[in-house]
Amino acid sequence: MQHGSREVRGGMAASASAQMALHDDHGSQQIQNPGLHDDFFDQMLSGLPSAWTDLGNPKSPWDASAAQKLFRIDLAGKQPDESQPEAAAEGLRYASYEEATMLASRLSQSQGSGGSSPTGEAMMLQLNNHHILPAVGRSQTAVGGGVGESGLLPLPLTLGSGGAADPRIIVETPRDEMDRPYKSPDHNGGEELYNGLGGSIRAAQAATGQHFHHPQSYGGAAASAGVGQGPAASASSGGGTPPQKQKVRARRGQATDPHSIAERLRRERIAERMKALQELVPNANKTDKASMLDEIIDYVKFLQLQVKVLSMSRLGGAAAVAPLVADISTEGPGGRAGANGAAAGNNDSLTVTEHRVAKMMEEDMGSAMQYLQGKGLCLMPISLASAISSAACRPSAGGLVPAPPPATTSAAAAAESPSSPSASALTVQSAAADTTAPKR
Amino acid sequence: MDSENSACGNPNPNPTLGPSKLMLAFRFLRALSLVHRTTPASSRTCRGRRIERAAYASMAYSAGTGRGWSRAVLRRLHHRARRRAVAPRRLSTTAGNRAEALRQLVPGGAGMDYCTLLEETADYIKCLSMQVELMQGIVDSSSSYGP
Repeated sequence: MQHGSREVRGGMAASASAQMALHDDHGSQQIQNPGLHDDFFDQMLSGLPSAWTDLGNPKSPWDASAAQKLFRIDLAGKQPDESQPEAAAEGLRYASYEEATMLASRLSQSQGSGGSSPTGEAMMLQLNNHHILPAVGRSQTAVGGGVGESGLLPLPLTLGSGGAADPRIIVETPRDEMDRPYKSPDHNGGEELYNGLGGSIRAAQAATGQHFHHPQSYGGAAASAGVGQGPAASASSGGGTPPQKQKVRARRGQATDPHSIAERLRRERIAERMKALQELVPNANKTDKASMLDEIIDYVKFLQLQVKVLSMSRLGGAAAVAPLVADISTEGPGGRAGANGAAAGNNDSLTVTEHRVAKMMEEDMGSAMQYLQGKGLCLMPISLASAISSAACRPSAGGLVPAPPPATTSAAAAAESPSSPSASALTVQSAAADTTAPKR
Repeated sequence: MDSENSACGNPNPNPTLGPSKLMLAFRFLRALSLVHRTTPASSRTCRGRRIERAAYASMAYSAGTGRGWSRAVLRRLHHRARRRAVAPRRLSTTAGNRAEALRQLVPGGAGMDYCTLLEETADYIKCLSMQVELMQGIVDSSSSYGP
């Protein structure tokens, strides 16, 4: 338990760590607090110096009963179930268990420096409400019961480098101060665990001195962050030394692991695309990703259905279009032959038609349209005509760009595209003619 | 229906903004007139299907070859020209099937990763809605002034 050892180094009572451990256990639902069996404790505590007894309640010596008492205090509402030490012991299959024992021994070594401090109690109180990583559960309880801190050991696996960014920021300075004196070669494994433990523990440590009110948020934040992190993050972050860890520590919810970075990048890109899609699709106020996808799918189906329906319904308009097409097709070859060179001639004839149509338009739009259709012409927006003419002109060198006649009451431009004999259109423009077709 | 190929093989000049509406209209009108010209008036459904194909073709050509879905549409069109193709089957959207259903809807979606699929879907939706707008406009204009 690095964090435990750190506490000691920090001069904080090992009791703090022990108590913290107990309290950390408190947070986990699966805690079998009850794992505090006397025999088990004796087993765990066999190697510990008597100084450990100071860890717990200053009032009572550190022993199983004290731990149990503490547990009962912490885990309000949870009845210590004394009958589960074996189960708890069984739970100690985690690798952290070995680390726990390692830490425990290390702690015992460093016991000399540390003495119990009232802050330990304070920490205990603070950590009372911490819900540190329910996943820690069994191993926590089992080990924690005996060693007092071992409960925190599994934390590294889940907390990893996760931890609240904010608490960490607050914590970092004090932690630095705490950490510096404690660079002992002995504590590599402990450091790993410590690194793994994440901000909540450190926050708690740092908070001991200054931010008593923070740890709860730390704990919660760290817990949530830790749970979110997963073992991978912790494993990756367990390599560095604590001070370095502070510098390279990723923000909350993120990791320095390349895999997670790539994963995060991918998720961000997907979120980006989903947002863009949301703008395109109507009724996109769904916050749920799945329903958003459903909406998108439905919209695509709807659009495709619309295309189908419109193409079928166009048959109704085919009656109007057919004569148009027929005329155009007959005009086609002749038109094409004439178009390349005799733009003027075309324009003349068109101008006449133009005027006639304009006159008719003033009277009755419908009849004007019918007249146009009879002639094999159709109306289209000027912009479309310009685009068509420009597009038609580009591929063909000798293409003509019909300049719309000067604006009159009914300025019209005829666009004839050499490449498509069937496209012949009469364009009515109300504003001044735009002679330069937009080049693309 | 090869009415759309050849002349307008230019790639989309502004891939990010999507195909130009004017170019789409131009291509589609051209194809539409071709369909009307070549189809016997008696076969209504046949004409409808041809129009639909023309719509997709003009959409794909306007979008250019920079898009996965447009390439897939053109591929499908060219293959259909040679042999009869089957209509793509549709998946019902169930919990685990959404990505699959989307893949089936968007042409060429089968070979894409999820991220690209979303991107292509956005572009496809843009072009589809443009096409629908255009067709609706044509129908409206022809129906209001027709005999």
